[in-house]
Formats: sequence, C-alpha cells, structure tokens
Amino acid sequence: MIEARSNTRRGLLAVVPDTVPDDSPRVSFCSHCGIRPAFADISSRVCDSCGMGLILQSHADVAPAAGDPFLVLDGSLSVCAVSAAAENLLATCETDAVNRHVTELLVAADAEAQGAANLAVAVTWAARGDGGARRVVVRPTNTFGVRLKTRIASCGPPTAALVVFD
Amino acid sequence: MRYLKTSEAAALLNVSPNTLRAWERRFGFPKPQRSPGKHRLFTHGEVAALRDALQEGLSISSAVSRAREGLAADSNSLVGALVSYEGERADGAIEAALALRSVERSVEEVLLPTLDEIYRRYGGDSAAWAFAAHWGANWLRRAQRLAPPPVRPVSIVIGDASRDELDTDAPHIRALELFCVRAGMKVLSLSARGVSGIGDAVAIHQPNIVVLAGGHLADDTVARWAYAVRLAAGAMPVAVYRRGDQRVRMRTTGTSMLPSGASDAQRRLLELIDAEQDAARIAVASARAHRDASSGGGQRASM
Repeated sequence: MIEARSNTRRGLLAVVPDTVPDDSPRVSFCSHCGIRPAFADISSRVCDSCGMGLILQSHADVAPAAGDPFLVLDGSLSVCAVSAAAENLLATCETDAVNRHVTELLVAADAEAQGAANLAVAVTWAARGDGGARRVVVRPTNTFGVRLKTRIASCGPPTAALVVFD
Repeated sequence: MRYLKTSEAAALLNVSPNTLRAWERRFGFPKPQRSPGKHRLFTHGEVAALRDALQEGLSISSAVSRAREGLAADSNSLVGALVSYEGERADGAIEAALALRSVERSVEEVLLPTLDEIYRRYGGDSAAWAFAAHWGANWLRRAQRLAPPPVRPVSIVIGDASRDELDTDAPHIRALELFCVRAGMKVLSLSARGVSGIGDAVAIHQPNIVVLAGGHLADDTVARWAYAVRLAAGAMPVAVYRRGDQRVRMRTTGTSMLPSGASDAQRRLLELIDAEQDAARIAVASARAHRDASSGGGQRASM
C-alpha cells in the first residue's frame, strides 16, 4: 500500500497554513460609524452608538478606526456597506450605493495592475476569506486626478471584503 | 394580520424604539401604519423579515434591501399566476401578501404594481391584461364587500370617468373606493356617463365631496355630470383623481387634485372634508355669535 502511494508520485491533499501569518487579534467595529464596541453584545448585531450599522469583525491591523471612511463589498463586487465618512468622501448615500457594483463608486487608479494590486482581484480574495491585507490605489469613478490609497482585507460575518481608505 | 407597537417591534429586533424610528426615517423600512391615535403600528411580517435579514447582513441597508426583496416575492408570484391564467393561484398569492401587510399596503405594493406590470409587459389589448384586470376588479370589489360598515359621518360620490374594466385607471379607482370604505366613509360610485336621475342619487346620498376619477371620458361629458350633481346638491368641493394631464386647467377652477396613489388620495380626501367641515362649523358659530350680539344689542336698546 505504501509502495503503491509512493509510486503514484501524486501530492496528497492536506491542510496547509495560510501563506500570510494570521496572528493579529480580531476586533469588532460598526459598519456605519466605525466605532469599536467596548464589549461584544452577542444578543444584537446593531451598533449601540449610532444604531445605523451592524457590528463586523476584522483583524486589528486593518480594521477602521472610528470615523474612518470604508466600504464593505461581497464576492460579486457589490457594495454592501458604506460608512458615514465614506458617504461624505464619495458623495454618495449608503441607501443608494448598496447592491451597486463597486466600479460605480471606485475604479483602480492603475487599470493594468496585476495580481494583488488589482482592485477586483484584491476584493475577490478578501471576500473569499483569504488572510492578510492588500494595498490598492483607487480613484472615485466620477472624479479624475484624485488618488485614494486603500487597504483591503477580509471581514465578517458573513465573509466579505473590507476596503478602508487610508 | 398581526401588528406590533413600536416597543414590541424594537424588542423583536433587539434595538431601541429610537433606533427603529431612525431606521424608518433613513431607510423607509419597516414602514408602519398609524393607529387611530396616530401611534405607529408595524406589521409583524416586515419586522420578522428584517430580523432574519439582519442576522445575515453586512449593513442595515443591505439587510433592508434583502428584507424588501423577500417581500417583493409576493408581487412576482402574483404576476406569474395571472399571466398563467390561474385565478386560484392568484388568490393564494394575494392572501400570502395579506399575511405580511395590511389590505391597503397589499393593494398598493402588490396588487396594483402587478396589474401595471402586466399592462406594461403585455399591452392593453392582450388576453393576459384582460384576465388580470378582471381578476383585480373582482378582488377589489370582494374586499369592499367585506369592509366594515361606515362609521364616519362622511359621504363621497365618485364619478367614474374610466373607459371600462380594461382601463388602466379602473383598478386604481376601485382601490380608492376600497380605501375610502375601509376608512369608514360612505361611498357611491357612478359612471360619469349617467346624468339622468343623478339628482335623486345625490339627494339620497348627501355627499360631502365629489370625486371625478379616471381620464377616459371627454371634458364635456365629465363637466356635464359634475354640473348635474352640483345642480342637485348645491355647491360642494370637487376633487379630481387620475384625470391625466388636466392638472393645469383644474388648478384655475379651485378643484383639488388628488395624489395618484390611492392611499394618499384617500388621506387627502379626508383632509379636504375635514377642512370643509371646520369651515362650516366656524361659519355657523360666527353666524350664531353675530345673531346673539345683534339680539343682545336689540335688548339693550329696548331697555
């Protein structure tokens, strides 16, 4: 049996560690105001501070601080949440932006970027739950000459991509 | 239909009543009705749909969107039933809508949009529209028959200027009749073609306001009918509902334009009638005061 396995020379499926170390602690934040709740109230996902967002979790090094502009996108690149600061930054309203494709709000500043520097790839990876943060430069779709640095990482639940404007 | 007070709905969603009111302002959902005492009444179905959506959502907006999509499924199933010419399935679809909403909202959010969609998709000369319009008219009449008897001392006469059952305005006029009846008003709906004997009908019904509804009949026909009504009942307010592009002309005659939505139109009608009754009360009170003053003055003069 052992000989037969060695003869096939095929790799066996195995759980392998993530290529990016995942030792950063997870923190909770509100999807609207970005405030981090003092203690996690498991009975309600609604933010106690503003009442306008749901409590999400992400790694501490990528999670937004209170008042930071950020978006939450799903795997199909649809907008799921727009923070209050991002509403001001992008001159939009969450109720209008939700369910629209991200390219109606943001496009990659470098349209030919490949791999992790590509907006769509970075969002897709993050929305899939891949660890680590990726940095992508974007611009608002309807504005030229403006560059915005973002960090993109996974958040949830449910698993989605968090795009925080630096 | 189960209704929840603000505190009950907030408890079900595990938020404060203030948060729930803030959601209503920002997202327009859940959308409450008002009790006779003007308190918010939330339908249990909407609140439950939102509660489930919040568990899976990434933001309140996306949860609201998901809850709305779930509720919109009723409209899709009604369209499917009507274009398949299945009356019983259509009855079932509207019953499902009624489990989550009030009659008024089921009509405004499911039945009327469904009929509009079928008209838009298949055209006014299609068999699908004929079936849907007939089913809708029957359902609205049946709902009207099941409404409680009038409780307000308010009566309206509707002059129906729509072509027939296949006119796109017809379901909206039936919906206005239904909402007025359910609001406790006495409603008499007559075709605006029938002028002969209108005096008897008006004398028996004693309307507070006349509504001209529908855009098919020509101005002359409608004006003749309205003139006959006024001749029989005297001057009274006239309101116009879904009468097409006559907004400009009506504005100059003092006629009130009602909003195109049936529930908004019904609320506006009540406001007009209340204003008219208030004006009448003030006129009576001032006449009485004037009479008392003059009789008091006469007594003083005689003394």
